[in-house]
Amino acid sequence: MIAAQGIPLVAFLAVAAVLFCIGLFAALRRANAIMVLMGIELMLNAVNINLVAFSRYSAPADAARGQAFALFVLAVAAAEAAVGLALVIIVSRRRNTIEVDKIDTLRG
Amino acid sequence: MNGPMVAFACLAGLTLYSAWRVATAPQVTHAALFLAATFAGVAGLFFLLQADFLAAVQLLLYAGAVMTVVIFAIMLSEMREVESDARGWRSLLLSPRLGIVPLVGGVGLAAILLSAYHRAAPSWPLSPLPAAPDSTRFIAHALFHAYALPFEVASVLLLAAMIGAIILTRTEGGAKG
Repeated sequence: MIAAQGIPLVAFLAVAAVLFCIGLFAALRRANAIMVLMGIELMLNAVNINLVAFSRYSAPADAARGQAFALFVLAVAAAEAAVGLALVIIVSRRRNTIEVDKIDTLRG
Repeated sequence: MNGPMVAFACLAGLTLYSAWRVATAPQVTHAALFLAATFAGVAGLFFLLQADFLAAVQLLLYAGAVMTVVIFAIMLSEMREVESDARGWRSLLLSPRLGIVPLVGGVGLAAILLSAYHRAAPSWPLSPLPAAPDSTRFIAHALFHAYALPFEVASVLLLAAMIGAIILTRTEGGAKG
């Protein structure tokens, strides 16, 4: 089995950091509400990489702690995707658009 | 370059390239497919970190379930070809809302994080510790002993999210919208 022998911890953290920033960029830049949610999913994935990498490199006794935490993040991400996309569907039905800049009823 | 390093480079390249395409693809459906590729790349990274169970869950839940929900949302919202996202680089760089602010935010955060990592990296481990033989057993032990209460709360959260999504999107019959 391929293990992570010889790969420094900082390599995983750097990939996660760049992935997080791409997710942030996507969430800020995209006009489409579905694309904003996709950017948020990218950021949650980056956080999970960090959690698993830290638990693998620095917690020998209970390496499962970071992975259990990552599982909770996954559950929250799934709930967020379900409710967020349901909201997108309602907004598209009622207002005929899912562009976040055009959904501005509460703007003062 | 040894074997794991090559595997890591391939997986990191797949993950970051498809994530970049998620952020820049003009069509929502293409972005969704690249999002699935990103999830697969992250699952490969989990596998490389010997988190087998988490890699399997990542593939099932993200590349399977979440992607299905996203595709259904694209289909139901009837915005398959969103033209307003198909902007050129010139207009992208000139518009503050869609160009400068996200670019500066993303690149700035990346620069801060990477420089901090660069400074702290010498004190960080260069190679992982010996892994547990089967991570699934340890995760199960952690979930049902130390984290039993958060585990139950997470299940209630998922149930609430499921019911909420059904109630929100229901139109005929009961309460509208």
